[in-house]
Amino acid sequence: MRSNAGGIAATAIALFLGILVVTQFRSQDVYSRSLQLETPASLTTLIANLSDRNNSLRDEIFDLRLRVAGARDSVSNGQGSLTESQREIDQLRVFAAVSPARGQGISVTIDGTFDDRAMSDLTNELRNAGAEAISVNDVRVSPHSWYGPGPERAILLDGKQLNGPWTVKAIGASDVMQVAITRTGGIEGQFELIYPKTRFTVTKETTLDLPAVAVQR
Amino acid sequence: MTAIAASSDPRRQRLKHGVALLLPAMLFGFLVAAQWQGQPERSSIAVRYNTPLTDAAFALQKEQNDLKVQLQDLRTQLDQIQSNAATQSGAASELQKRIDELKAQAGLTAVTGDGVVVQLDDSHTVAAGATNLDQAICHSTDLTDILNTAWRGGAQAISVNAQRVVSSTSVYCVGSTIMVNGTLLSPPFNIAVIGPQNSVLGAFDDPNQLRDIKARRDVQGLGFRVTRANAINVPAYDGALTVRIASPQ
Repeated sequence: MRSNAGGIAATAIALFLGILVVTQFRSQDVYSRSLQLETPASLTTLIANLSDRNNSLRDEIFDLRLRVAGARDSVSNGQGSLTESQREIDQLRVFAAVSPARGQGISVTIDGTFDDRAMSDLTNELRNAGAEAISVNDVRVSPHSWYGPGPERAILLDGKQLNGPWTVKAIGASDVMQVAITRTGGIEGQFELIYPKTRFTVTKETTLDLPAVAVQR
Repeated sequence: MTAIAASSDPRRQRLKHGVALLLPAMLFGFLVAAQWQGQPERSSIAVRYNTPLTDAAFALQKEQNDLKVQLQDLRTQLDQIQSNAATQSGAASELQKRIDELKAQAGLTAVTGDGVVVQLDDSHTVAAGATNLDQAICHSTDLTDILNTAWRGGAQAISVNAQRVVSSTSVYCVGSTIMVNGTLLSPPFNIAVIGPQNSVLGAFDDPNQLRDIKARRDVQGLGFRVTRANAINVPAYDGALTVRIASPQ
């Protein structure tokens, strides 16, 4: 009788352990990403970013509808679509960085230790904040640009050696870009922690003039 | 002798049962503790707001996809009007030729060619609560480093999970979610690189390039593989051009 009771107890425990082991394996499953696992703060930032992008798309759709209608009218009136074509060329020359560009924006000066990966991160952050054209020490950053380490703490941009201090100019909405770079927890704050002796200055500029890319590929 | 043996048997049996139960009991305790630690801590705020916020993010992503389709349709319409006009005048034809060249330079036309494909993925062996999780998953900076290496190797066109890399492209990371061109992407990341194969492969094979990624691949099992590939398709950029403030000089 005692033996039967022990056997039943052991079986029950074994079953329970089996269930637990399976549950444990499932909960310790390989890491997988899911939006559900993000914090509400991260999700709110994501939503703001998606919303901004969608607004840009809406603006361009609105603009393109007008341009399509205008081009149709011009062609039907026998005027051709030269004006529209020239406008598109102007836009594409800036986008491809093959023409000098002018406009409002910000300049970021970096005086002290810095490196190519940090410069790449800053460029990425400026693009995310809506920069339409970027230069470093008056060398235009192109769609195909790359950074690398240069001699004596210089930074290479497309193979061209750029010595510090560096001035990064970005044309775009100056208010938006300044906030994006200097916000609490933003990239400037991160740089100040990583390079405590380096001086970073972010300035809004009414007019910036950036050159075209030096060599077209 | 028999009497002593008989009287010790029940005690010995109870002891044996006790010892037999001790091990599973300890294992049980360990598993309960591990189970408890295995559960990610979720704040009450997260529990309350994550579902509506996640739904909102997915809805915005779907809206973005629809807007991109509308945008492509309008670009095609404008192209057709200009192409038709170009057949009727020499000046329009010259402008159309210039537009086509610039679109190719800017990444607004799809490209097919030989090159390499880079695959980047989270480790498939790391557990959700692992202390080295950060080292075993891919980050936005890994993608920017890979793009930088590919351009350095002479890449002519690049896409990340079908998102064309252009002058406005940013790789943005919020929490563990990565966006390229403002589009939500999930690993694995397939980076299609069209360009001179030997030169691009040489850049990726350079031991001075991507040292961090290569070390994490070897130690933490981060997925990172570069392979030669032919006839790769890199799609056209389908986002907004966002040239509103800069004017050409």
